Amino acid sequence: MSNPALLSLSDMAARIRARKLSSVEATKALLARIETWQPKLNAFVCVDAEEALQAAQAADDDLARSGPKGPLHGVPMAHKDMYYFKGKPAGCGSKIRDGWIAPETSTVISRLQDAGAIRLGALHMAEFAYGPTGHNAHLGPARNPWDVARITGGSSSGSGAAVAARLTPAALGSDTGGSIRLPAHFCGVTGLKTSYGRVSRANAMPLSFTLDTVGPLAQTAEDCALIAETIFGADPLDPVTAGMPGWDREAAQRPVRGLKVGIPKSFYVDDLTPDVAAAFDKAIKTFEKLGAQIVSVELPDQTLVSAAALLVLAVEAASYHAPWLRTRAEDYTPQVRNRLENGLAYSAIEYLETLRWRGPALAAHVAAIGDVDLVLAPASREVAPRIDETDFGGGGNAEQMVVAVTRFMRPVNFLGLPVLVVPAGHSAAGLPIGLQLIGRPYGDETVIAFGRAFQQATDAHLRVPELMRDAA
Amino acid sequence: MADKVTPERIAAIAAAARVSIPETSPPRITNATAAVILRMAEENIQLAMEVEPATFFVVAREGAKK
Repeated sequence: MSNPALLSLSDMAARIRARKLSSVEATKALLARIETWQPKLNAFVCVDAEEALQAAQAADDDLARSGPKGPLHGVPMAHKDMYYFKGKPAGCGSKIRDGWIAPETSTVISRLQDAGAIRLGALHMAEFAYGPTGHNAHLGPARNPWDVARITGGSSSGSGAAVAARLTPAALGSDTGGSIRLPAHFCGVTGLKTSYGRVSRANAMPLSFTLDTVGPLAQTAEDCALIAETIFGADPLDPVTAGMPGWDREAAQRPVRGLKVGIPKSFYVDDLTPDVAAAFDKAIKTFEKLGAQIVSVELPDQTLVSAAALLVLAVEAASYHAPWLRTRAEDYTPQVRNRLENGLAYSAIEYLETLRWRGPALAAHVAAIGDVDLVLAPASREVAPRIDETDFGGGGNAEQMVVAVTRFMRPVNFLGLPVLVVPAGHSAAGLPIGLQLIGRPYGDETVIAFGRAFQQATDAHLRVPELMRDAA
Repeated sequence: MADKVTPERIAAIAAAARVSIPETSPPRITNATAAVILRMAEENIQLAMEVEPATFFVVAREGAKK
């Protein structure tokens, strides 16, 4: 391996622990790559080069003196700029929080630090994580490494772009309505949208307390499992994690032979572009070859579940932002302000009726899938659209665009299900295509097991964007 | 659930929330949320009285089992 920046997270971590690669070498390689590609991609909002090198040197010294601190010893990483590091700015993609200094560290960041990870900087995101494309009028758009004229997807835009471009071996994103899965799909990386409640959201910027989830984007399912092993489990600071188990490594390594994969009869398979349809069909055949049983499933009406998710998100986001809507409304970009104001459409009764329906909606989903272990679905009808095709500012078409881009995303958030997005092919134009491996409730380990098996049989996750190859 | 949201209702909810919105916002919001409102109203979801939001966790734990 000539360039350590190209290593997967698992390989980089193993090499550092085995002292075949120093943390300083890995950090320097990533910083050099960031310097080259950041001006083209706009994936970072800040790079803490000097601090990262000091931390890397300390990690190397500690390793020589007393062995590895944890599985991520000395691994440099950057995360979406909504995970708080005590004493560091966390702008959350906004003007309102520009320069705000976090008073505490996010639980997930503390857990990664306890495992030995070090900080490279912070990554681009949609303003307050409220946008699915990667547009941000304050920061400029993040750009897709496969074609810089195209969107990264959002709201974890920098996480998708930086992992795809090999500027960080992994990155945390968040997923409230597709914000991990869309960048994973559009940028050709692997992304884990975790089950609601299994990963702490404490001291991370909230958007919707019913729908927010935390998870990694990385090159492989194996890499996502390494992060999951570190961040999963109950946290006294986040009440929805109460009683939740930690990561089950054995379950995440189980063979998929004999397990059941459900293929939706409608909604997720409607109106796919030919490239996406072909990748989906090929993936079904791959799972068949891996020994999985393929069955058809008729899911409950996903348009209704999507509508419920949109209603809950709109009200909860408006509630979080009400203090600033009262005092600093002009400091939002028009699109985000408009979307926040949309939460004023719904009454308290309508909101609570929709929230109360969440359990029955999940019960209907579970009944529909029966004993199926995994539902396989495309992440989107299409590959990454162009930036100029999707940038409506606050214009009238913005809400329609948002609904179209997130069409296959929202039901899973309302139902709280785990999903792994895996690269499954490329379009004729060379743009990545991702598929959703949707698990049963709390079946995060199972979606990783399926992802691992899929990636052992396929190679779409190994491709590096053409733009990046010269510098490899 | 209502099958239509009027600009007047939006203005009233905004006032109750003490959020000042531009005059152009209520009709824009009406348009932006119409599809969600209509879809939820069409379904006319009926819930047992005992169902609460946290029922979700009970269902999820049960649904985890095959």
